[in-house]
Amino acid sequence: MTGIELFLGEHLNPEKLNALLLLGVVLFGGTWVGRLFQLWKIPQVVGYIGLGLALGNTGLGWIDLTTMSHLQPFSTFALGLIGFMIGGELKIKTIKKYGKQFTTILLMESLGAFVVVSILITLAGWFFFKNWSFAISLGLLMGSISSATAPAATTDVLWENKTKGPLTTIILGIVAMDDAVALLLFAVSTSVVGILMGNGGDVSLVSSLLDLVWEVGMAVVMGAGMGFILYRVIRSFSDEDKILAFSIGAILLLIGLAIFLGVDIILAAMSMGFFITNFAPRRSKETFHLVERFTPPVFILFFVMVGAKLDVKGLTSVTVILAVIYLLGRIGGKSIGAITGSAVSRAPRSVLRYLPFSLLSQAGVAIGLSIVAGQVFLGPLGDTIVMVVTATTFVVQLAGPPLVKFAITRAGEVGLNITEEDLIRQSRASDIADKDIPTIKENADIKSILKIFAERDNLYYPVVNEEGVLTGILPIEKLKDTFIASDISEFLLALDIMDQAEFSCRPDTEASEVRDIFKNRGLSSIPVVDENGIVYGMIEYRRMQQLINRRLLELKSRATALEKV
Amino acid sequence: MELNKIIRPNNCRLLKSNTKTEALLELIDLLEQEGKVTDIEELKREIFYREQIMSTGIGQGIGIPHVRFAGISEPVILVGIKPAGFDGYESLDGEPVKMIFMILVGGEQHKEYLRILSLLVHRLKDETFRTSLTSAESSEAVYAVLTGESH
Repeated sequence: MTGIELFLGEHLNPEKLNALLLLGVVLFGGTWVGRLFQLWKIPQVVGYIGLGLALGNTGLGWIDLTTMSHLQPFSTFALGLIGFMIGGELKIKTIKKYGKQFTTILLMESLGAFVVVSILITLAGWFFFKNWSFAISLGLLMGSISSATAPAATTDVLWENKTKGPLTTIILGIVAMDDAVALLLFAVSTSVVGILMGNGGDVSLVSSLLDLVWEVGMAVVMGAGMGFILYRVIRSFSDEDKILAFSIGAILLLIGLAIFLGVDIILAAMSMGFFITNFAPRRSKETFHLVERFTPPVFILFFVMVGAKLDVKGLTSVTVILAVIYLLGRIGGKSIGAITGSAVSRAPRSVLRYLPFSLLSQAGVAIGLSIVAGQVFLGPLGDTIVMVVTATTFVVQLAGPPLVKFAITRAGEVGLNITEEDLIRQSRASDIADKDIPTIKENADIKSILKIFAERDNLYYPVVNEEGVLTGILPIEKLKDTFIASDISEFLLALDIMDQAEFSCRPDTEASEVRDIFKNRGLSSIPVVDENGIVYGMIEYRRMQQLINRRLLELKSRATALEKV
Repeated sequence: MELNKIIRPNNCRLLKSNTKTEALLELIDLLEQEGKVTDIEELKREIFYREQIMSTGIGQGIGIPHVRFAGISEPVILVGIKPAGFDGYESLDGEPVKMIFMILVGGEQHKEYLRILSLLVHRLKDETFRTSLTSAESSEAVYAVLTGESH
């Protein structure tokens, strides 16, 4: 080996790709690809998963199993954050409002998928393997796995599109809760399969159910406990940085404990979020807002890892056919269940129509359960399940998010969950200015100025010269002051009593910048002028707030209106 | 507010100028000598801009050029008298302007500005007061009439 080869081997060895460099590549590339997909109107999460596919097992293989195991904690962390954020959206008030619809639809769609997939896979399994107990086992296990819906990719689309309304609420509730149904079905199925396949010794029904009670019950108790602690502590904090650090610390502590005790991570984090949002509503809004701003890099990493993990190279024709049957059965079962459930519980029409499109996603829990099945039932049964679930996850993770987007768009819920901050971020000076404001000429006398003030409720008017160029602002206080000199008011002109226009902005100035000028300079109005100084309009702080509030109310009432359809 | 405290003897003059422009410049020169104004050229521009938009001749021989000007910290009243009147000083009643009261205040002194204007105009409504001003024979006499020390 020459010196150069030695040097290169030492310094450019891909196996020495350190974790930070990989993180950088994933976040940098992920954000870029996500943005590209957004431009193509495809949910960004598809881009992240696609990048993962390209870099991981299925594609180039840059992210190998060792790297993935190194980065596993980040994925778990992401699941914890997702659980926490979903929990934060589940307000008791909303649950009460949708309670009946929610439970009915949840049970119908998860059981629908379970029943249909179980039957279809059992029949197909018998056709391929000519063994009833094998076929029934395969059917039951796949059926129970099919009932789970992954929250991550689905909620990411909801958050990206700022949705609000009945469909959003039902989706959030269902994707968060049907994992519990899936775990229950899987626990029962495993026991039945254990008996059918003759290795029932270590998977008795009772111990499976006890496991389940521990996994779910403990998660809820731990989450609520940690939520209580977090609530007590942030109550005395006012510093945002500290609240953020402490909240993230609490989430990490909780999911760390959950892993240690072998309980469900998402449920635990969700229960914490649920506790905070319902028992400390005043402080929680801020906390969730802070945590939300922290999530993007973790989520990008998580979804890239989801893509990287999928390996579809070992597929056989039998597994492909089974995967297609599983996929169709799952979609069919969930759709029938969702539609029947919505109809029976008299859910809004948008839920009935579009919920089926929103329940495709399958990821963590399904893959996790398939791996459990693979470890408990060694041999063809376990292997087939792992292959089929992996292959179908591949398909639904890419097809699911665009369908969710389609559903929420058609349901009219996109953009209804916009905050004041979002609204300002999206606007420019031209959007918030009074464009039809009359200008006051410099030589206008008090009488004609009074007339303008009397006809409109603006408190500030732009003053212009002969050419229409802005020279000042006339606030109502200055007009009021002329009462001091009422006997000379006929000699006074706008020029005499106006204020200098210290700040002005252009129509395309960003609204956030305008707001900052208002806040930092303590101004009440800012004129908007074009590049020649000609007045385009006027922004009054008071009227800007009114406009924003009106727009927010409008969006809120649109969301409320959706419930009545 | 006491007008007498604002009016200073040095700022009251019988003017030599014959025209409005000269008269205004002569009054501004008084300020320049005191050195209290930072940007005298800018002040001139503002005074003339105001006159260009509309003359400050308010009738009865009175002219009150006035501006709020950032380069001034205390209100100033400059008084210029010319019994023969100034050429080119348009006024509401068409009568020649014989008395100029130039009022200058700081940029933020809006209320003071209006008070001074109001008080001054109120005092000038008295015809005998106006007559004694225009018949004053020296700058000192102008000051004395204005501040009531001649009575």
